[in-house]
Amino acid sequence: MNSPRTIVGQNVRKVEGVKLVTGGPAFTDDIQLPGLLCGKILPSPYAHARIKRIDTTKARALPGVHAVLTYKDVPRVPHTTAGQAWPEPSPYDTYLLDSKVRFVGDRVAAVAAESRAIAEKALRLIEVEYDVLPAVLEIEQAMAPGVAIIHDEPDSTGIHDASRNIAGYILREIGNVDEGFRESDRIFEREYRTQRQQHCSLEPHIAISWLDGDGRLVIRTSTQVPFHSRRQVAMILQIPVSRIHVIKPRMGGGFGGKQEMLLEDICGALALAARRPVKIEYTREEEFYMARTRHPQILRMKMGVKRDGTILASQLTVLATTGAYGSHSTTVQGNTGSKVLPLYRAEHMRFECHVVYTNTPVAGAFRGYGCPQGFFAQECLVDEIAHELGVDPVEFHRRNVIRLGDIDRLSAQLGEGKAGLPRVIRSCSLPECLDRGAAAIGWTSKRKALPAAGHLKRGVGMACTMQGSGIAGIDWASAFLKMNEDGAFFLQVGAADVGGGADTVLAQIAAETLGVSLDKIVITSGDTDTTPFDVGAYASSTTIISGGAVKKAAEKVREQVLRMAAKMLDTPVENLTCGDNRVSTVGKSATMTQIALHAMYKEKTQIMDGASHFNTDSPPPFCATFAEVEVDTQTGKVRVLHMATAVDPGVAINPAQAEGQVEGAVAQGLGYALTEELLLDDAGRPLNANFLDYKIFGAKDMPKLTTILVETDEPLGPYGAKSISEVPINGPAPAIANAIFHAIGVRFRKLPIRPEDVLRALREKETAADDQSL
Amino acid sequence: MFDTVEAFYRPGTVREALRLLQNGKNRARFVAGGTDLVVEADRSTRILIDITRAGLSYIRRKGQACVIGATTTMATIENSPAIRALAGGILARAAATCGSVQIRNMATLGGNLANGSPAADTATPLLALDAEVVLADARGRRRIPLTEFYSGPRKTKTLLVEVAIPVPPRGARWSFQKLGRTEDDISLVNAAAGLQLDSKGRAKWVRIALGAVAPTPIRAVNAEKLLLGRKVDRSTLAEVCDEVEREVRPITDVRASAEYRREMCRVLVGRALQECAAGTGCSL
Amino acid sequence: MKTMEVRLHVNGEPKQWTIAPGDLLLDVLRREGYFGVKRGCEAGECGACTVLLNGQPINSCLKFAAQAEGADVLTIEGLAHGDTLDPLQEAFLDHGAVQCGFCTPAMILNAKALLDRKPHPSEEEVREALAGTFCRCTGFRKPVEAVLAAARGSAR
Repeated sequence: MNSPRTIVGQNVRKVEGVKLVTGGPAFTDDIQLPGLLCGKILPSPYAHARIKRIDTTKARALPGVHAVLTYKDVPRVPHTTAGQAWPEPSPYDTYLLDSKVRFVGDRVAAVAAESRAIAEKALRLIEVEYDVLPAVLEIEQAMAPGVAIIHDEPDSTGIHDASRNIAGYILREIGNVDEGFRESDRIFEREYRTQRQQHCSLEPHIAISWLDGDGRLVIRTSTQVPFHSRRQVAMILQIPVSRIHVIKPRMGGGFGGKQEMLLEDICGALALAARRPVKIEYTREEEFYMARTRHPQILRMKMGVKRDGTILASQLTVLATTGAYGSHSTTVQGNTGSKVLPLYRAEHMRFECHVVYTNTPVAGAFRGYGCPQGFFAQECLVDEIAHELGVDPVEFHRRNVIRLGDIDRLSAQLGEGKAGLPRVIRSCSLPECLDRGAAAIGWTSKRKALPAAGHLKRGVGMACTMQGSGIAGIDWASAFLKMNEDGAFFLQVGAADVGGGADTVLAQIAAETLGVSLDKIVITSGDTDTTPFDVGAYASSTTIISGGAVKKAAEKVREQVLRMAAKMLDTPVENLTCGDNRVSTVGKSATMTQIALHAMYKEKTQIMDGASHFNTDSPPPFCATFAEVEVDTQTGKVRVLHMATAVDPGVAINPAQAEGQVEGAVAQGLGYALTEELLLDDAGRPLNANFLDYKIFGAKDMPKLTTILVETDEPLGPYGAKSISEVPINGPAPAIANAIFHAIGVRFRKLPIRPEDVLRALREKETAADDQSL
Repeated sequence: MFDTVEAFYRPGTVREALRLLQNGKNRARFVAGGTDLVVEADRSTRILIDITRAGLSYIRRKGQACVIGATTTMATIENSPAIRALAGGILARAAATCGSVQIRNMATLGGNLANGSPAADTATPLLALDAEVVLADARGRRRIPLTEFYSGPRKTKTLLVEVAIPVPPRGARWSFQKLGRTEDDISLVNAAAGLQLDSKGRAKWVRIALGAVAPTPIRAVNAEKLLLGRKVDRSTLAEVCDEVEREVRPITDVRASAEYRREMCRVLVGRALQECAAGTGCSL
Repeated sequence: MKTMEVRLHVNGEPKQWTIAPGDLLLDVLRREGYFGVKRGCEAGECGACTVLLNGQPINSCLKFAAQAEGADVLTIEGLAHGDTLDPLQEAFLDHGAVQCGFCTPAMILNAKALLDRKPHPSEEEVREALAGTFCRCTGFRKPVEAVLAAARGSAR
């Protein structure tokens, strides 16, 4: 029976909100442990080298040092650090510690000491002789004949072709693009380049590890993937999974950077070696180049269209680098094809991608997961096509974008490392997103003529994007509920709230299903001892998959509650409803408290149950992004005046939190478009591993933000929800590039779009115009 | 970090501070706001001498002239009515761009100048204002022009104690321009200009100062001379900016290329002089 | 190891710390259990370590603990009165301005310092007050709205 919703759809306060606004101890570092040691990693100064000799004698002898580890001291177990379901589709090309280093920052050794100062001194006392090898730094050089082989070790597996530095290769086609291009009236082809972006979570990576009283290895860590981490640490340290306990406290951001088993293995190894608790916390500098980044890509996008603008064929060819190790190498790039091309209803699509190793910082998961790169290329090209054909971009999108009821067949080819499942679009409000986003930015009037004040030129641009909600057939979650005497329910989920509000949303789903108020749900999450399995927070899966498990578990528990109440009230179950912390029928009711006491002390039974859940499809959220920019043609600076984002997230379980996700994603997208890039010198050393020179948008940089939720009802999601946390990051870069074109008539196909680039392009345009007028 | 520091002093006088510096040999350093020193994290430091209690936090008017103690914070300067009224407020405006609120509550004028960064935002307006600095050492105090402070040899065992700003020319107009990558940023280029016009609208007195485009903040003296006696019109501005371009020696670094900085010198100086000429800065 | 004594007030309570001369205020505060003061960059860029020192926001990662001698330090832990939250804290909760919460103490303290000297700031002034605190989660819109709402005296 469908009753009006009381909690789902409400802007309830975050369940952990009070703790956060009062600064209560909530994050990984917010504990004091007796005997805690400081762990530090010795990073490689070279981009590519063999360790010829490593002598830790002096370091070990330093008073206060309790453990020093090199490759000689630990098991050699090839693995991936990618937080993915087993068996992970990423190459097993990484080692806890190795005798070869493959990027500046790669692990050489690790120490645990009584203070940070002693640990740093110990690192300085480790003597290393390197056999420096030629470094492969340029993405376009990686496959060239004669170039150094980065993964020449015999025991790594899953690498497509190590001899040519190819970590992964993808080729998928539906229809026949050559035929499609033949049938096209116009063909457009362009090359685009995207950069190394870093997550910049305000809380750096951190792990604390110790042996508990039973000799089990405890790891308290800021991770999006507690269960994957546990499994991987077990494999690497050769300890049974059940002898490891991973705890995820509140996290200070992740954005994909923590969808990784990054510090847990080395921290656990140090704790085992030292027999004392060990904390490893990355400094901000280490966070920039020794953690993960977005995959830089070179994209060649080709589209064939009919005269009226109908897209017949689209082809995307990508050369990406995964850095020194293949974490998420094929899956991120797989998304660049599978989530991007099917936005349009072209009959013919082809995606081909080489993912190469380079001796550079390791790339991994980052919000959007391959989509920001792909949509930059596609949405910029589409804008160019629309312009050439004299069609308004919004209209062009309306004609060509995927619709309700459509089937995306490219997804069937590109699952997470294996054949995926076809995607059916069961909910879609993209047309309305286009309308409302366009209205919010003032599209119609501003496309015609914008006020130009001398050297300041304004323009508007847009982009459409989509994502997924969970990985079909692979992402799964479980939830467990048990009832307490006061009518409150403990909800235990393996889900990992990264800070976006997952715990609150899951509690809302449970409360709604059980008919109780939100304060009657006490949620525990992300603890491998006390919560059931969940793949973790990635692929925009928590609301739809973990939420699906919560709803199932809550429905089962509601059944038990109703049957108990039926006995108590002597009424058939069909006549009972849950709501308002009680079970009621006409004329009588029992409170949840009464039911609990009856169950526990009369019937002597614990009302409890759990459920697991996965989907066989991944319903896309949709997004229309509109940007208004002002270009200073004297300095080249691009000021973003307004970003309007209209999103179809399915049903928004908590609209305020959902809006917050949009706005944060847009902020990261703005940096991706205009200011962010991790730069390396010609020896592969980071040049700007700090906030002074890696520029993210601050409070004064942010434009006016308009956030529009255009809700739909998704059959595969709990209460109709899909997802929202990634999709809004895909639109800003192309929308801004397109707006800049509208403002000054120059196309930028390389990110970030820096003032120098704008100025140079304006000068070139001037010169070309002068030449023409001669 | 600073685990090697053995002693932390907070002297109450400049004399005491200098004595401690002398005794510390080469391992003692002055600290005020700490916003440069802590980031530098020089591991050879053994003794820290906090000078924020040595009586150097003040802003005093001396008629139309002004003296500012070296440990006066950017926030104090930014909010001081006296500094806001001085020379179109360019020094207040520059102080207001020296990082975030938190930084400005800590960072000091002396630190901004003495740490020698060519991008120091307060240096540029101070050069345009013909400021002098008072240096104290074991022998006593002496006063030198800020230009000499930057062009002379590096001074050791010396403490910058005060900045003195002489009376600006009557009726002069002022401008401060700064270019960064984001709203809060170290300067890629900054520029300060002062301009006094005669009754016919010709430049009678000119100052053009630039930061982040040479090893130290500089005055574009040739460009200044070029403008003297001329009206600030389009062609004159172009010539002046050409000259500025010749006087700067910017570098390419991770923030910007030398070519871009050179081009931005033209743009910022052009904007600064136009602002002065249009009287959009307030005159004295 | 050489040590020295520092006497100050933290959240209204008198404190006497034994510190190393080179100790930074951030490290000492966290060591003393003030976990609301965060370590984000140790270079004065991200602002997560913000505390109010004599009412003024500063980056505690750049302040030597010895320099806090005699000072009044306010951390986020000192803002609420028992169970009663400060209007800023209420506003942040009501406006969805808290996501991961790592920057939240710093944002709230910076906002408090602003409202203490300017009870009715403009949006521009609020953004200036928050500009020294990085947030990677919110895009700043809801935090700015929360501060303006708190200034208006209404939590929602």
